[in-house]
Amino acid sequence: MLKLMTIVASLAMAAPAAMADGHAQTYGPFPITLQGYEGDKTDSTGYTGQIARHVLHDSLKKLAGQGDGGSNAEELEAQMLAYFSGSDEDLPIIAPATKGDFVVAQTMVGEISGGKNIEGKFYNGLMPAWPGAMSGVDVALNMISNAAASNAGFSPETGYDWGQLISKFTMGAMAYNQAVDNYLDEKLGADNKPNNAPYSDGAHYTGKEHSWDEAFGYFGAAAHTLALSADDAYAINKLSDFAVADANGDGAVDLRTEMVFGPAYYAASFDRAGTQSTDYLQTIMQAYIDGRNVITDANGEALTDDQRAQLVSLASTIEDNWEQVLAEAVFKYAGSVYKDINALAEAGDDNAEAYRTYAKHWGELKGFSMALQSGRNNLGETAVTMNDLILFGPPTLDNSYVTGFDSDGNFEMDRRITWNDYQLQLLQLQQLMVDKFGVQSRVNDQLADLEGLAESLGSASTAETD
Amino acid sequence: MELTEYISSVFGDFINPKKRIFLGYLLLSLLIALLWLVTVKRTNLTNALARIFDRKILFSSSSKADYKLFVFNQLITLLISPMLITQLTIGTAIYFFLHKQSLIAPSEFSSLSTSMIIGLFSVSMFVIDDFTKYLVHRWMHHWPVLWAIHKVHHSAETLTPITVYRVHPLEGVLYALRSAVAQGVAISIFVFAFGNAVDLYTILGVNVLVFVFHVTGSNLRHSHIEIRYWPWLERFLISPAQHQLHHSIAEKHYDKNFGAALAIWDWMFGSLHLSEKDEQLSFGVIGEEDAASSIGALYWRPFRDIWRLFSRRAQQAKDLVGRAVGAKL
Repeated sequence: MLKLMTIVASLAMAAPAAMADGHAQTYGPFPITLQGYEGDKTDSTGYTGQIARHVLHDSLKKLAGQGDGGSNAEELEAQMLAYFSGSDEDLPIIAPATKGDFVVAQTMVGEISGGKNIEGKFYNGLMPAWPGAMSGVDVALNMISNAAASNAGFSPETGYDWGQLISKFTMGAMAYNQAVDNYLDEKLGADNKPNNAPYSDGAHYTGKEHSWDEAFGYFGAAAHTLALSADDAYAINKLSDFAVADANGDGAVDLRTEMVFGPAYYAASFDRAGTQSTDYLQTIMQAYIDGRNVITDANGEALTDDQRAQLVSLASTIEDNWEQVLAEAVFKYAGSVYKDINALAEAGDDNAEAYRTYAKHWGELKGFSMALQSGRNNLGETAVTMNDLILFGPPTLDNSYVTGFDSDGNFEMDRRITWNDYQLQLLQLQQLMVDKFGVQSRVNDQLADLEGLAESLGSASTAETD
Repeated sequence: MELTEYISSVFGDFINPKKRIFLGYLLLSLLIALLWLVTVKRTNLTNALARIFDRKILFSSSSKADYKLFVFNQLITLLISPMLITQLTIGTAIYFFLHKQSLIAPSEFSSLSTSMIIGLFSVSMFVIDDFTKYLVHRWMHHWPVLWAIHKVHHSAETLTPITVYRVHPLEGVLYALRSAVAQGVAISIFVFAFGNAVDLYTILGVNVLVFVFHVTGSNLRHSHIEIRYWPWLERFLISPAQHQLHHSIAEKHYDKNFGAALAIWDWMFGSLHLSEKDEQLSFGVIGEEDAASSIGALYWRPFRDIWRLFSRRAQQAKDLVGRAVGAKL
């Protein structure tokens, strides 16, 4: 209750200051600027389609863990595909759903936006991180099929954790890809979705307004993120702080505006952990709001070159920071897997639980590494090195790992790697993330102990002798 | 660089407990010297203070050269140190390399108690550091090129705690590299074998053993206060008098007592010399007296001597080839 009062008070105090320069400090509502619009709408903000896709993704991840080892495979795969590829019927929201005091306003995807799917907005270039040289969509379909046939989303023989693989890959292949390779890329062109015309026939928002809104929607941040700390954003995603989430105090969290989804959640998670020297969440959020204000200020006129240059610059800020968040995730989970291997050795024969944890973290590592290479830029040699270091599959308990598919489409595991060698590759992977992406938060830094000791010993650079 | 920043970087060692000339250690060395003179040497307090603060020593031309070198070397170090390889770079390379062997796995011994791991690391770090100091110091005396550099330190004719900084910059580079290698090896092996529990037992941020070395009068080794230990203890720890003997110009003292804190290395490798009661020592390098107080000579002469060494060797090689060719003809 105290927390709720604090938030209400802080919002009340923040409001006049937030509007002082005439610009909103929340993402929406934004006024209608479309020239000649005669309808009764008053808010031009619109990104519900993207929120619906986040909900489809969260629900898909839940479903990935519901296999019973084979007997429900067909039915479960069909259900998962309804969320991935689309369904004629409205779908129930499996996640995020009301949990205790954390009340979620919507229970059906259609209450957010109808007729949406993930597949149509999924990276479909070559995905060399997965065996079989398949396209992004085919890799996702392969994972869904395997998840449905597994027991609780886990295949111990290959070490694959399907829920983690699907979820983390999707965060890049759908959200990151669509934002940076579509809405913040070609849709910023002068002739593509211009600002002096509706986005589509009958729309109440301009082409540029809606393009920018859609890019924001994929980031998955709550509209009131500028008033949130990284801890707040983290807690909202974990459904553990209702008071902070329910910004308008109407007694329920509106998934369309008040929820924090995957990409924004991970940005916050790195700001609040590791070296705590980053501000990914707020930097990205501010860039989105600043960009939307540039468009709103154009008042329905075509954007000038200068205005578009501002948007391109802000888009670049968003892309750089988002890419770095994904690299931070690869760095973090490389460290987790390194530590998990030590824990596996300590566990001895009673290692089922340790192996499950290891596989979960490896799934996150792999998924995020695939997300990282789903963006606008071809990462070239960096991607090749990253994939070589991570391997197609985790080293399993007999040290074998997935190397490809056989002619029947089953996973082949015809090579082995020692634990020490694999741990070395994980260290090299962390180094790669530092060298190529300049990661700063560095959660689970496996070289941090060395750095700490080196610092505590100090350098002997002063010239002294006996 | 701002002037204040510049001054604080030059004199920062006086307030850094990781450095031997930290004011606290200097003060304790002074108290130990006083105590020794009053209780062991039966000197009255006034005479004891007069002996410690002997102007002929503290302001000798040799000591004045030490002070100048201290200031100049700090500045030279500021410029050079960013270019040197660090213990972290070496440690990381070794840490990566350790993953390629299969005798022990990462964190294999992490189940040992934390206090045991910290104790083991603190002792190992001290011992490795001390041994590598002994080794490099020995090389400095044995190899002519290195002796040409190290002679700068030995040209001091009076010893004060600041004499520890009477070093040619090239020697400073070698000692920094030694430190980087010693620390890089120790931290990488320990973190690899024992995991994240590895740490140091410290006082004021300094390895507790290094701290003990400093608070027990490490500064007195470069002084005229000839504190001796019992003979049995001088086989384990280098006393101030033993190090002063290392600086002696007497031939019988040449190449003795290379050790920093521990005497065991000298004992093991045959270079130990116990201190001698009431022996009057003279310091410096015979034939290099003019370099004792000349800053120019201190900086330049090592280069000149190294050049002469190489020229002589080149001439010898030429003569040898000439003789060989002549014999064939």
